[in-house]
Amino acid sequence: MLQAHSLIWHYLWVAPHVLQLGFALLLWRRGLHRRLPVFFCFLIFEALEEFVLYGLDLTPSVRPQVWWDAFCTGVILEGLFRFAVIAELLQSLLRDWPSLARTGRNVVGGFGAFLILFASVAAAIRDPGETHWMITSAHLLQQTFYITQAGLILSIFLLAAYFHVAWSKLEFGIALGFGIAWCEHLAAWAVTASGAFDGARNLFDVANMATYHVAVLIWIYYLLAPEPVSLQSSELPADHHLETWNRELERLLQL
Amino acid sequence: MNLTIFIVAAALLALVQVLRITVGRRRHASKNTNLTLELQPLDLEAFRNLADPFEDAYLRLHLPAWDYLRVRHARLQAISAYVRVASHNAAILAQIGQGALMQKDARRSEAASQLVEDAFLLRRNAFVALGRIYVAMAWPASGSAITPFQQQYLKVGTSAMLFGRLQDPADAARFSVAIQ
Repeated sequence: MLQAHSLIWHYLWVAPHVLQLGFALLLWRRGLHRRLPVFFCFLIFEALEEFVLYGLDLTPSVRPQVWWDAFCTGVILEGLFRFAVIAELLQSLLRDWPSLARTGRNVVGGFGAFLILFASVAAAIRDPGETHWMITSAHLLQQTFYITQAGLILSIFLLAAYFHVAWSKLEFGIALGFGIAWCEHLAAWAVTASGAFDGARNLFDVANMATYHVAVLIWIYYLLAPEPVSLQSSELPADHHLETWNRELERLLQL
Repeated sequence: MNLTIFIVAAALLALVQVLRITVGRRRHASKNTNLTLELQPLDLEAFRNLADPFEDAYLRLHLPAWDYLRVRHARLQAISAYVRVASHNAAILAQIGQGALMQKDARRSEAASQLVEDAFLLRRNAFVALGRIYVAMAWPASGSAITPFQQQYLKVGTSAMLFGRLQDPADAARFSVAIQ
C-alpha cells in the first residue's frame, strides 16, 4: 500500500500541491500575496516543480539520469526559495519593532551561520557508500538544506516566544506548517542519506509527502479560521495591590 | 550512524519545541486573565544596593576572601532573582502594549508602541544581564555589570506610566507603580 506507484503514493504526491495552488489562489483573492510575495511565488514554483517531477517519473521514456538531474535542480532552487521565505517570515514578525529587528536578525543570522557550518561538516564526513554519486549528493543536499532551515525556523519560534511578539495568524500558520514539515523532513533525509534502512526508503518518501500534506492543511486552516478573540484584558490591578506598590514607589522617589 | 542518530534526535526535539510553543500560544490566547495582575512588584532600591559596585568593593575590602566569595555568590543569586522578575514584567508589559496597539486614539497607540519597544529592549538586556551574572558566579574576578539594565528598567517604567496615563488619566502612575 505504501509502495511507489500505489494509489496513496500518487495521491500524496499530487494532492498537497493541488491544494497548495488552491491556497495560493485564496491568498491572491484576499490580496495577501502582496503581504507575503516570496511565499506566494514559492507556492506556485514548488507546485509546478513537483508536477514536472511527477510527470517525468510517470513517463517511461525518461531516463533515471534525467529525472535525478531535474530533482537536484529542483532541490537547489527550492532550497534557495525556502531561505527567502524564512527571511520574509522573520521580517514580517519584526517589521513593527525596530529595536528588536536588529537583535532578531543577528540572533537568527548567527544561528544560521552556525547551522550552515554544522551541515557542511555533517555532509563532508558522510560515507558515500555504494549508491550512485548523484543520488547520494541529492540526499546530502536535502539533509544540508533541512538542517539549516529547520534550525532557522526553530530559532524564529524561540525568538517570538521569548519576547512574546504577537505573530499574525497567517504568518504563524505558515511558520508552524514549515516547522513541522522541515523537522520531519530533516529526520527522514538524515536517515536516507546515511544509507540505513535502504529497503524502507519508500516509507520515508510517503512520510515526507504526508507531512507536507499536513503542512498545507495547516496553512489553509490558519488562513480560513477566524482570528481568535483574546479574552485577556489590560485592566488595572485592584487597589489593595496598588497601595503596596505605591509605598515602594514613594520609597524610591525619596532617594 | 552516530551523526544520523544525533540529527534525528535534534529534529525530534525541534519538533517538540515548535509544538510546545504552539500549544502554549493557544492556551495563553484563550486564558481569561487580567495581565496587569501578573506583574510582580520589584524593590528597585534593594536591587540598586545589591548591584552597587561600591558595596561590592566595600565587602571585598572588609571580609576575609572566603567569606567575601560566599556573600558575593548569595548577592549575585539575589540579583538574578530581581532580573528575572524585571524580565517577567517586561514580557507582560510587551503583551499589554501589543494588545493596545489597535486603539483608535493615535497618542495611546503611540504610547503602547513605545512601551512595547522598551519592554523588548529590557527583555533583551535581562537575557544578557543574566548571562553576565552567571559568568560572575562562575568566575568571581569578573564584574556583574548590570547598571545599564537597571536604567533600562526605569525607562520601561516611564513608558508604562505614560501608557497608563493615556489609558486612564485619573490614575497616572498605575502601570509604573505595578512594576516598581
